[in-house]
Amino acid sequence: MSFPDLLRTAFSNLRRRKLRNSLTILAVVIGAGLVSLLVSLGIGVQGFLSDQVRSILPSDVVMVASNPDVFQIGLGGLGFAGKPQQISGNQTGGSSTLQPLSLQEIQEVQGLKHVEQVDPFIILQADSVRLQGSQQRFRTDIRPQPEYQVKMVNLVAGKYITDQTHGECIIANQYLDVFGFTSPQEALGKEVIIQVTQAASLIGLPADTKEYSFTIVGVTEKTLSSTEIIVSLTDGEEMSRFWANTPDLYTNKIPAAILQVRVDGSQYADQVASEVKDLGLGEITSSDVLGIIGTIFGIVQAILSAFGLIALGVASLSIVNTLIMSVYERTREIGVMKAVGASKGTIRILFTAEGAAIGFLGGAIGVAIAYVLGFVIDRVSRATFLKDFQTFNISVFPWWLIVGVIALTTIIAVLASLYPAHRAAGLDPIESLRYE
Amino acid sequence: MGEETINALAGINLEIGQGEFVSIVGPSGSGKSTLLNIIGGLDSPTKGNIIVDGQDLSKASDSELSSYRNKKIGFVFQTFNLQPTYNALENVALPLVFARVPFGKRSQIAKEALETVGLGDRVRHKPSELSGGERQRVGIARALVNNPKILLADEPTGNLDSKARERIMELLAELNKERGLTLLLVTHDLESAKSADRMLHMRDGQITESAERK
Repeated sequence: MSFPDLLRTAFSNLRRRKLRNSLTILAVVIGAGLVSLLVSLGIGVQGFLSDQVRSILPSDVVMVASNPDVFQIGLGGLGFAGKPQQISGNQTGGSSTLQPLSLQEIQEVQGLKHVEQVDPFIILQADSVRLQGSQQRFRTDIRPQPEYQVKMVNLVAGKYITDQTHGECIIANQYLDVFGFTSPQEALGKEVIIQVTQAASLIGLPADTKEYSFTIVGVTEKTLSSTEIIVSLTDGEEMSRFWANTPDLYTNKIPAAILQVRVDGSQYADQVASEVKDLGLGEITSSDVLGIIGTIFGIVQAILSAFGLIALGVASLSIVNTLIMSVYERTREIGVMKAVGASKGTIRILFTAEGAAIGFLGGAIGVAIAYVLGFVIDRVSRATFLKDFQTFNISVFPWWLIVGVIALTTIIAVLASLYPAHRAAGLDPIESLRYE
Repeated sequence: MGEETINALAGINLEIGQGEFVSIVGPSGSGKSTLLNIIGGLDSPTKGNIIVDGQDLSKASDSELSSYRNKKIGFVFQTFNLQPTYNALENVALPLVFARVPFGKRSQIAKEALETVGLGDRVRHKPSELSGGERQRVGIARALVNNPKILLADEPTGNLDSKARERIMELLAELNKERGLTLLLVTHDLESAKSADRMLHMRDGQITESAERK
């Protein structure tokens, strides 16, 4: 029997018992739809979170710290359930304390291949931000960023700041509402006052407070960083020196404890990171963080997909049932086919093909329905609770998910049809021809 | 009660020449159908050899036997065994599917076979839309479609009225004469049996009498 004939026969036989076969296919559709929808939502949310991570830690950036332990992530590093971690190096201090990097260390990092730009990572905590002329103060996170990183954020209004910028800032979209602006354009050119109290206050020591004035020149699109205010590195350093009460911070006398190292291509980030590690320094890249997110999502998706897989397992029983019924009903037909020249192998492959057709149709319809549902969920959520995250695709269907789910249901169906096909092939032709 | 071995056939020694018309008569359970099924490659003897056209069927594999049934044998059944969901053409074309004849060529060959049996104008009819005699003609066309050497007919007229019976017998005799097809006919009907070149009587799995036509 030729392959086109096999397909033709398999699909035309499905049409013979429409209701029964439709119900069996429906069972596959439910399983395939569940698996593909849940995985697609997982991919969408993970993609969104990954984008957020990349906006904070770009993929071509390696963070470098004086302490090799400080970026250790994991259960042990968090002191939670893991083995107590050994403190690396011979320096004083623990796993989370930092000391300024030495000039020599900074030079070594600068000298590494593929390192393009080295900036201090500015540490700073601001008390509040308020609009000039208003007494309402709001929480804020000041993000001093180099120019290349600033440009990775999408703006809904205004312009980017450069490394030379002084006294200008970009505010997070969420501030528009609390500041009482009705449009992003309205915020441009307005002054905000950022208040900084020295770090000593964190442990109850006497400390000074200072106010810095910035002009809003840009507004970001809505991201998860809802309280960020982006300033230039120069402005950040100035505020940080006051906050730390250390006028020589970020100079050759007291260099930064953390560096933000940009490499000339994200593919080199991990390579540079491992060289940094060899220098005895701490390092972290976006792929480390994304790896952790990926692991967590992998587990969540596996758990969610299990429900779909259970449905597919039940569907496979239904396929077995359907095909066994079909073998009974068509016993005489099988006898005739054998009498006119069908071998056992042909009969076996014919019933296997019918099972495969059920799996294929169920998978294809299931994925198609999940695709439409995903699209609807996407639209509905963006029209409602995700209104401000227009770039967030909550349901994403890469080609491999579509192909993979259809292949999965087809394979499951083929496995389910092995026994009925074996039974059909083994029927005695003479008895089958007598079967009433 | 234990299982009992019943010899459906025992000590049969039979040679049939090409183009011969042999009829087999005998009471129910005498082994007529078993003999036909063994010659047709649907059943295998537990002992002994069966050689058709130089091929020893008792040693053939399943795929060799199915190819043999497909190419060399045409079965005609008492109950026609037509597929009710297929029309006449599709029923006749079924052996061609397993012979891997391309789709386009199949309907042409099947149509010719239907014309041979006088049903050229019934190709699109389903079995339920045909009379008993016409259904058996479709069955015969299906048996002919792969140009077999041997036609095995097991009570082909058992379900037909006398008029249809006559015409089916005429058709079979004609195919035997004009196409040189070897024809083996199992029947209860002595009238039909007598039209054969040779008539075999069977009883308890043995051939008890063999009569040549004068």
